[in-house]
Amino acid sequence: MQGSNSKEILLWLIRLRQRYRVTGASMRPLLTDNDEVLVDLRAYRRQQPRIGDIVIAQHPTQAGLLIIKRVKGVHEEGLYYLQGDNSDPTQNSPSLVTAQLIQGRVTSLFTSAT
Amino acid sequence: MRYLTRTIQQCFPAQTTVSAHCDGPCGVYDPASARIAAEAALSMTKKILALDPNDHNHATVNSLSRFISIKEEQAQLAKTDLLVLWTDYFKPPHLEQYPDLHDTFWKAAKLCSAIKVEVNLEKAEELMKVINKIHNIFWATKGREVPFYSAS
Repeated sequence: MQGSNSKEILLWLIRLRQRYRVTGASMRPLLTDNDEVLVDLRAYRRQQPRIGDIVIAQHPTQAGLLIIKRVKGVHEEGLYYLQGDNSDPTQNSPSLVTAQLIQGRVTSLFTSAT
Repeated sequence: MRYLTRTIQQCFPAQTTVSAHCDGPCGVYDPASARIAAEAALSMTKKILALDPNDHNHATVNSLSRFISIKEEQAQLAKTDLLVLWTDYFKPPHLEQYPDLHDTFWKAAKLCSAIKVEVNLEKAEELMKVINKIHNIFWATKGREVPFYSAS
């Protein structure tokens, strides 16, 4: 994932990118607690999420909880298999979500907490 | 650029958070929710089969329509509950302990789909057996003995 650049900052300034703060460790080592990312909420209006994309999605069972994970697979009936990058299984559990629950694609790191 | 974004973050931190925790914070899982939905789908299958297909009066058609609708809804609910349990609760160490875990859930999800599409008593009863197996595995991973039961 690229770091913030002038194009991404400009897109954020004109509200085509949204900033989100990451909490938790399931996306380590790429993202750590308190990192901020820029997200394109329009990314999937005309195309489907692809394997390898980092996305934000509504948790499938907990209303109001947004999760950040990587698309690892696409199952039948439009289900997406999402999982974090952390190789420690105790820090990382997969989720199956429908396309409707995926809200946007992470386009860049805004700023790193480390 | 980094100095600029860091200054922005310090002065105006992002207001919305996204969770990269290993799991959602509630951590409450129980195969009972899948069992109840599967049992409802089984009950609707029995009720559909008990209706006379040659009886075309309004009351029968209305009942048939309602039973089909509920069967579809409950079979899908059972499938969703099972998929959440499979992907959110179970971890790789559980798979080492129960090597057929993936196959068991895959079979259960396929049965849910079949029950939704067909009127198949055999598959509806088979799903209850698979959920019974999942129930036993689930509570064994928690080190608890919880007897399986059904409402009907």
